[in-house]
Formats: sequence, C-alpha cells, structure tokens
Amino acid sequence: MINDLIYVYCISNSPPDLRKNNALEGLKCITFQGFYTVVKLVSYSEFSEENLKKNLSDITWLEFNARAHVRIISLLMEDCTVIPFKFGTIYHTQDSLKKFITDYSDSFIENFLIIQGKEEWSVKIYCDRRTLCERIDELSEEAATLEKEIMASAPGKAFLLRRKKADLIENELNKLTKSYGQEYYNEINKMSENTTLNNLLPKELTGREDTMILNSAFLVRKDKAVDFVTTISFLRKKYPDLGFDIEMTGPWPPFSFVSIQEKL
Amino acid sequence: MQDNVIDRSKDITILELLDRVLNKGVILTGDIVISVADIDLVYLGVKLMLSSVETMEQLRSGQSKAE
Repeated sequence: MINDLIYVYCISNSPPDLRKNNALEGLKCITFQGFYTVVKLVSYSEFSEENLKKNLSDITWLEFNARAHVRIISLLMEDCTVIPFKFGTIYHTQDSLKKFITDYSDSFIENFLIIQGKEEWSVKIYCDRRTLCERIDELSEEAATLEKEIMASAPGKAFLLRRKKADLIENELNKLTKSYGQEYYNEINKMSENTTLNNLLPKELTGREDTMILNSAFLVRKDKAVDFVTTISFLRKKYPDLGFDIEMTGPWPPFSFVSIQEKL
Repeated sequence: MQDNVIDRSKDITILELLDRVLNKGVILTGDIVISVADIDLVYLGVKLMLSSVETMEQLRSGQSKAE
C-alpha cells in the first residue's frame, strides 16, 4: 500500500455513504477537521506524474476515467454537498492531503455555503444563421423596407440594392442572434443562483453545422431544478423555426462554481 | 426536440466532459495536477480525433475534398 497514490474526487461536509452503489466500491473516506474527503488509492503505473501524462494522450483511457470521475462525484452529490476536484488531482501521502485541507479549510467552508443544496447545469445555445436568414424580411424592418425597394426598382438598381441588402443582412443577423441570445439567457438566469460564461467552441470541436452563440453554466437550487428544466423546455419551443437550438446537460457537480483560495 | 433531459445527459460528449473535469473544479493544489500545457495537448488530441472522424464520414459519403 505504501506505493499507492491518493486520488481525490471531492470533499463533503457530511459523511458520504460509500456503500449505496457498486460504482463507489474501493473508495475511501478520509475524515479530517470536519471534512470528508473521498479518495481512491491508485497505482503509480497509471497515475504517477509521468504515467498520467502519457495516459492523457490515450483518449479511450481519458474518457473512461473522466466519466468515472464525474459519475462518482455525481453519485455522492445525491445526498451530500460536495466540492468537486479536477480530474487527476493526486497526493503522495495522507499527510500532504491533510496539510492541504488545513491550509484551505476556510475556503472550503465559504464554498460549501455557496453551493449547499445546489447543482450545476450547462446550457449551450446554437444558431443556424441560414434559417434565421430565410426569415430576415419578417424579423428586420430595415430588410423588409429594402426588399420592397428592390422589388420596385429597375434591374440595374435592384442589383446594387441586393448587394447592399447582403451587407445589411449580415448586420441584422448579428443583432438578432444577440438579442434572442440575451433574451434566452435572461430567462434562464432568473431560474438560477449564479452563472458563468465559458468560451464559445468552434464548429470543428462541436461537430455541429450551426454556430454556438452561448456557452454557459448555471448554479441551480436542487429544489428548483424541475422549474429550471421546464423553463428550458419552454424556451426551446418559444421561437420555433428561427434556427435557435438550446442544448442542456446536467445536473453536474458544481465544477464551475467552486473557487479555492489559500488561507491568509 | 429533446425533452427527456435524463436520457440526454447520459449522452454527454467527451468535449463537454473534459471541459468540466479538466478545466474546472478545485485546481490549484495536489502533489500532481494536470497542467494547462497538458490540457492543451489533450484538446489537440480530441480535435485530431474529431477531425479524423469527420474525415472518415466525408470519405464514406463521398464528399472528401481533394487536397
């Protein structure tokens, strides 16, 4: 056992039940200073600094272990408030883990207050600009006015006006995605306690044809999660056929809402 | 349109997953912690994987672009 490394999943402020599910088999709970740290002893061959780096480049290994990381924390989150740790946080000894807990105990307490009884939901909004573009004359007064002018013009002038309209459309599409995106965000935000914005992901990473216009996380009270989900379902249907798509995942452990500061 | 969020959340993409477990959570600690540079490499790997899947699909559907 001496050779084993300590892999940390999460810290809770109440004792977790590690026997409630088979997926939690092999985990240990280290009770120290009123915190319950859920860990697993892992081997050097997988998790030493050097081997971990090697394994990270193996997508299959990474995906399997990353899913297990989230699954375990999610199971524990069902009955406890947990501060999730980043994947692959390793301590060499119980002493160094305990030193870390001592150093950061104030910060843990603050974080528990923020996340108590809450969970994280991820919301991504996409926009298919082509669909939105097809409806541009209905959605933009300026575009409609210009269209009328084009219809009433002689071919030469109409040609020039069409080029003008193409520029206008680009502008109007940006305005529309901004205003609809903001409206969606405001409605969703009303149902949450806190929110963070993440970087928009390019199409090559999302594998989607449409454009990501919002990548956000919301901290939602567990007893309001049903309302949150209902709100998203409602928003999905609010403007059908405009090319917007709202993608939601959750509940997640509050990964995006924990922030640990060293004790001063 | 998907209304069943529970089923939906089972099918979380690797990207969404890594975005959370590698970039978020308690990070500034640990005797060993995956560094930002390591994470960049991971994303590069995922990108390559995704683009190769895409290439495969393009080839399959006969849409591959000539180099």
